[in-house]
Amino acid sequence: MAHQNPSERSVQELYRDDPERADALVWGRRGALQGAALAAMGAALGGSIPFARNMPSGLVPAALAQGANQPQFLQMEGKAPLILQGERPLNAETPEHLLDDPVTPADKFFIRNNGSVPDTVADARAWKIRIDGEVNTPLELTIAELEQRFEIVTRKLQMECGGNGRSGFSPQAAGNQWGNGAISNAEWTGVRLRDVLRAAGVKDGAKFTGQHGADSHLSAQGPAISRGMRIEKAMDEDTLICFRMNGAAIPQMHGAPARLIVPGWPGSLSQKWFTRLEVLNKPHTGRGMGGTSYRIPVRPIVPGSRNNGADFVDMESMPVRSVLSSHAHGTRLPAGTRSLDIRGHAWAGDLSVRDVHVSTDFGQSWQAMQVAAPPNRHAWQRWQGRIALPSDGYYEIWYRATDSNGRMQPHVAANWNPQGYGANPISRVAILIG
Amino acid sequence: MRLLPYAAVVVLLCASATIAQTPDLAQRQAEAAAALAERQEEETVLAEGEGRSEVFGYCTACHNTALIRRSAFTRERWDELMDWMAEKHGMNPLEGEFRDTIVDYLARHYGPLTRGPRGGNPFLN
Repeated sequence: MAHQNPSERSVQELYRDDPERADALVWGRRGALQGAALAAMGAALGGSIPFARNMPSGLVPAALAQGANQPQFLQMEGKAPLILQGERPLNAETPEHLLDDPVTPADKFFIRNNGSVPDTVADARAWKIRIDGEVNTPLELTIAELEQRFEIVTRKLQMECGGNGRSGFSPQAAGNQWGNGAISNAEWTGVRLRDVLRAAGVKDGAKFTGQHGADSHLSAQGPAISRGMRIEKAMDEDTLICFRMNGAAIPQMHGAPARLIVPGWPGSLSQKWFTRLEVLNKPHTGRGMGGTSYRIPVRPIVPGSRNNGADFVDMESMPVRSVLSSHAHGTRLPAGTRSLDIRGHAWAGDLSVRDVHVSTDFGQSWQAMQVAAPPNRHAWQRWQGRIALPSDGYYEIWYRATDSNGRMQPHVAANWNPQGYGANPISRVAILIG
Repeated sequence: MRLLPYAAVVVLLCASATIAQTPDLAQRQAEAAAALAERQEEETVLAEGEGRSEVFGYCTACHNTALIRRSAFTRERWDELMDWMAEKHGMNPLEGEFRDTIVDYLARHYGPLTRGPRGGNPFLN
């Protein structure tokens, strides 16, 4: 797909502009590609389609589904060429094939901002964090004091944007059109939030938190974002106030000098440039709370319909998801390649991943991959295995994870909501042999 | 046992050295992010049509046009987003003819890509 030829454009345009006609032209009565149409689609993709007879009617091949608008890439010192979602606010997604490291390095860490990136501070160790609200003893501690007073822990923790996978929704939902790449699994060092909360003494009846950071809204009026969670998650052993990432200072882009890490829940709770946490006896009302923000329907709504989110609930543990990191979407392999060792990562919010299955025949048959145990709770898990490729031609590798409760990634994004949270459909990577 | 305090000092020194190496890069990244945010856009980056100047002028006060260009919403969804930005993000509420100009432009040029192979959701018609 490196260059565009006339037939490629025509198939793409056909699907974009008139899908009904495209279906009629491309798909036959028995759901199989017909003569000239099959040849045309094969030419568009640059090869034949060995499992064409299994392609469901109306399914646009993954290699075409990217559309005519090619992604733009971030160019920034110290950062890999991430997929640029927008400059103001600055948001960039990690392509799945750059998520191969077991521990996500700083340069491959996705960028999510709601507001402006603050200036750096001269003395990181003097940075102050306040704990107040429904506590017996409000605290204001510098990073140096936190390090002295509380046990320091280091954990590998997966943390993803609440909107990860949003581009799977149809019709389109509002927000960054993330694929699966708004995910990270860095090694974080800090102190447990619960140890600090216990030192402050949480009052009976306190049930929620409200987080605050130093970044300002793009309008320059007020904070960029301020979210909160149930106190139970704040007391989880893996919810940390962090001051190091991968053994070094936290990069400015990712919340230096202190960041709250709330693994497995929407990344917006992992407050960057963290300054303050309020303990509350009712849900927080900061920017990013209420309505349709980080909230999902309890009773499914009609996709594309209007809704104020009053009946929605806050999104908590993120749904099961997987990436394939060994081969980029659009990888071309030598003719005669008959097997391929593939691998990736899978994770499931507060849960773990039980299985990963792969299909190379559009979902007709599925093959179990090996799934490693996580190095610690809330870390993502490595999956790997070998697939067979019976001939040269165009293939899609479909990969699907199942969480420890037995829930698997669905074929299409479920539970549509206006701001697009919780889309975790099965992903597809296109490869070409020969 | 007597070595332990020294080991701790060495670890602390190493940690300080790691922290001390990064401020330059951190500062350069912060500046690069600011430069990206401040990069001037031309109005012509948006589709040509009536209302483009109004949309460009009003919307880019807060965010750049990437948020518009990546979007594909019905008129009703665009209209809903105007209320959402006013309620949640401090935008001056849009009303009357000016609102129509903005929403009409967005719906006309950044509407849904497709209604789907079966003509859209039957429950929305």
